[in-house]
Amino acid sequence: MKPTALPWIAAASLLLAVVILRAESRPRYGGTLRVEMSAALSTLDPAEIPSDPVALEAKARLVPAVFETLVRLDESGRPQPWLATSWTHDVARKRWVFTARPHVRLHDGMIWTPAAGSLEVGDDRPIEQILREMARPWSAIVVHEADGTLIGTGPFRVARWEAGKAATLVANEGHWKGRPYLDSIEIQMGRYLRDQTQDQQLGRADVTDAPVGTTDGASDETRTEQTLALIFDTPRSAPAMREAVALSIDKVAIRRVLLKGHGDISGALLPQWMSGYAFLFDGKRDVARARQLATGSAPLTFAYDRQDAVLRSIGERISVNAMEAGIIMRPGNGVADVRLVMIPVTSRDELAALADIAVVLKAPFSFSAAPYEAERTLLDGFHAVTLFHLARNWSLAPRVRSWPDLPNVWIGQP
Amino acid sequence: MTFRTKLLLLSSITVAGAVALVTGAVSIAARQGFERADGQRRSDLLAQLRRELDTRGREVVSQVERAAASAGVQRIAAGSAEFDQAQRESAAQDLSFLDVVQPDLTILSSAHWPARFGYKNDWEIAAEDWHSAGAAVGTAFFARIPVPDGPSVVALVAVRPTADSKALVAGGRLVDPAFLKSLGDAPGMRALLWLPPGEVVDAQGGNPDITKLAGLVNEARDKTAEATGSVQWTSSRSSSEAFLAFPLPHRGQIAGVLLAGTSLAAQFALENEILWIGVVAAVSGIVIGILLGWWTTERVTRPVTQLARGARAVASGDWSARVEVISKDEIGELATAFNRMTEQLAEQRDRAIQAERVAAWRELARRLAHELKNPLFPLQITIENLRKARKRSESEFEEVFQESTGTLLAEVGNLKAIIGRFSDFAKMPPPDFEAVDLNEIVQSVMRLYEAQLKDEGRSKIDAELDLAEGGLRIQADGEQLRRAIGNLVLNAIDAMPNGGVLRIASSREDGHVHLSVSDTGTGLTEEECARLFTPYYTTKQHGTGLGLAIVQSVVSDHGGKISVVSSPGNGATFMIELPVLPGESV
Repeated sequence: MKPTALPWIAAASLLLAVVILRAESRPRYGGTLRVEMSAALSTLDPAEIPSDPVALEAKARLVPAVFETLVRLDESGRPQPWLATSWTHDVARKRWVFTARPHVRLHDGMIWTPAAGSLEVGDDRPIEQILREMARPWSAIVVHEADGTLIGTGPFRVARWEAGKAATLVANEGHWKGRPYLDSIEIQMGRYLRDQTQDQQLGRADVTDAPVGTTDGASDETRTEQTLALIFDTPRSAPAMREAVALSIDKVAIRRVLLKGHGDISGALLPQWMSGYAFLFDGKRDVARARQLATGSAPLTFAYDRQDAVLRSIGERISVNAMEAGIIMRPGNGVADVRLVMIPVTSRDELAALADIAVVLKAPFSFSAAPYEAERTLLDGFHAVTLFHLARNWSLAPRVRSWPDLPNVWIGQP
Repeated sequence: MTFRTKLLLLSSITVAGAVALVTGAVSIAARQGFERADGQRRSDLLAQLRRELDTRGREVVSQVERAAASAGVQRIAAGSAEFDQAQRESAAQDLSFLDVVQPDLTILSSAHWPARFGYKNDWEIAAEDWHSAGAAVGTAFFARIPVPDGPSVVALVAVRPTADSKALVAGGRLVDPAFLKSLGDAPGMRALLWLPPGEVVDAQGGNPDITKLAGLVNEARDKTAEATGSVQWTSSRSSSEAFLAFPLPHRGQIAGVLLAGTSLAAQFALENEILWIGVVAAVSGIVIGILLGWWTTERVTRPVTQLARGARAVASGDWSARVEVISKDEIGELATAFNRMTEQLAEQRDRAIQAERVAAWRELARRLAHELKNPLFPLQITIENLRKARKRSESEFEEVFQESTGTLLAEVGNLKAIIGRFSDFAKMPPPDFEAVDLNEIVQSVMRLYEAQLKDEGRSKIDAELDLAEGGLRIQADGEQLRRAIGNLVLNAIDAMPNGGVLRIASSREDGHVHLSVSDTGTGLTEEECARLFTPYYTTKQHGTGLGLAIVQSVVSDHGGKISVVSSPGNGATFMIELPVLPGESV
């Protein structure tokens, strides 16, 4: 071979590599995504908001794939037109009229046409509050068929639904924004974490839940947040005792050793990067004060996910910390006095996210309050003790692309 | 108790005693033998337990040493390992517990409680045990270890340093039923470990009553030596266990007490079996002994019984009674003698009866002759006077005739009276029972003879009545009793020609009424007393000899008895005893 040919060969190879890389980075249509999750959903009806945080997180992710709202929030939390193209109010500012997007088809192929081509909402609140609430997935447009099935306008339609067990979502070919990349999504619900891990390793699942704190590094724009917190459910614990538990927890050691430095220590429900005021919620440890508050306290039953090794370790560590303050927290199942849970941050909008957290906490909530006030109200009385903000993690098969943005997920080369 | 019963009882007791003695001796010997064998077995098991415990201790030390030398523990000591690395190391060394701690005992990693990193190790390990961790040879000891799910558990632990001595490794094996079972797993045997302040770990996983073992444990602890004892867990004897306790000293203190328990159920079952066999043998022996004794007694006592029956027959008047002579031994000779004796007695009785009959006839003839002779003489004289008077004038003859016929009629009447008395005695009628008062009868008799007692023509006789108060109601023939008592009163009057005291007393005693008639007359000789009730025997000049015979006959017909007490010069007392009801007692 002549030496003069080498540059040409190198250039050709480089060009080929660029072509291949470009081809791989370009979404492809087709394929079935196999998803396994711990949550077990009984229904996909947006009107039913689950209080179980695991189910809430899963439902908040699946509902937008099937049912769409009139408006959506962009990455900055600003409302953007979605099924409604515009909105205006009447003279008295008592009613808002949303103009329906034309040529939107329901999953049964029929055109979605609200009466008079618009929707009216009687609400005298500021439009920002109304739009925030309407952007929640629980405000999605749902059509109830005569046979009881629910249909929407989303990029996927429900082809099979076995409550709590499995579901199959198939691509909505007539979606007004165009067909999604995936042909279908096979969902298995109520799967134990170890089974998910096993299926992932054997190539039987593409997306599974991952233990807490195993990945990190997502940018603020793309990462999904969740809050690790203690929730006191039963009235057996007095406020002083709940505060004592909160003061006894050595969050620094937990983050350093058990979370291996992942996550952010916080006393707030929403992360600092999202609310900007999280630092105002003090979460520092004070064992001496905790001992004082815990004097004469009765033992508590403590529930946490023992399948998740990290959560189990955190739960045990919290028990050890509480014991140091004189509080006995015994592991228990079923209805426990206190639970260690991952509360999903379901929205980039503070109030919408806090509204869903209020559902988990079974606490009242109002969109008319300022986010800080709303969060302060939720945290008063120490019914919820926030520990860390952690990224929501999944284990993904190498061929999965663009997860967790479901309409845009596609299957690439493994 | 009959002779046969005595003999049967004696033979049965002898047999039963012998059988019981043999059975008891065999049972005791067997039980002692089993106890010796069981004791030897327990000693062997205990020795095995000790060896196994030493072996487990050495194993723990070795396991902890291997863990301390492992790369994982080195990484923990260097701070470059996962917080739960100790879990993997303890699993690799098959240890229940493994804590890697800094010299100040801060936990770097804990196998059984990973969440306790950063806290101080709080196992109950003496300071000298931590300090001696650097010694060349480590020893295992018992310690309490706090666990997440409870207060604490007990483990056999050892402490060793890491290779670079930057950290200490404390590891151990949980003392649980499986651990104790590994020390010795013989059937019917179990190992228990008592640990202060009062926990007992049972190889069978049970929850034994500590209080029942406290005495044994305390004895072993106080003496620092082996102690033995037994515990009965329930009311059933088969729940008993024999325990051998030996203390486990550690650094001058008793770290625990190992108890080797062996069930006594099998031993008791065997003893029970032997006991039952003995009981069955004893009962069988006794039954057989009784049967044999009965058979033997029957054979031995049959001739004696026959002799007794014959004697009773003879006593009851059956002079023909004979016994069968069925052997030629002493009993046979006795039977032969008995038969001979009864034959002789019968002959003698017949002769006596014959003689008495002859004597009676003679006495009757004499009496009749005597009684009839008295009236006959006046008859003869009167008839002769009447003949002589025939020769006299009519008027004289008429006078004599009237006088003579009067005399003749009187004497004939006298003869008829004599004949009547004999006739009455001969045909004494059976009593006609009715309710009567004996005292009233006595008083009526005394009224009858009152005039005779007060007769001026004879010496004075004082009558004294000492009758029972309230009357003496009996079932009797009043007329016959009245006649009998009258005869006694008449006899008493006749016995006191020179006067005296007639005393009649009545009383009730032992279901009978008693009546005594006493006089202070001349009295009777012993021979007269013996023959007094014989018919036609009399001590009086003009008596028929039938009065007392009639009295005896009446008393006898009423089911009573009559007797006389007398001596010459001291009067006589006739005593009558009558039942209240004929043939019954009160």
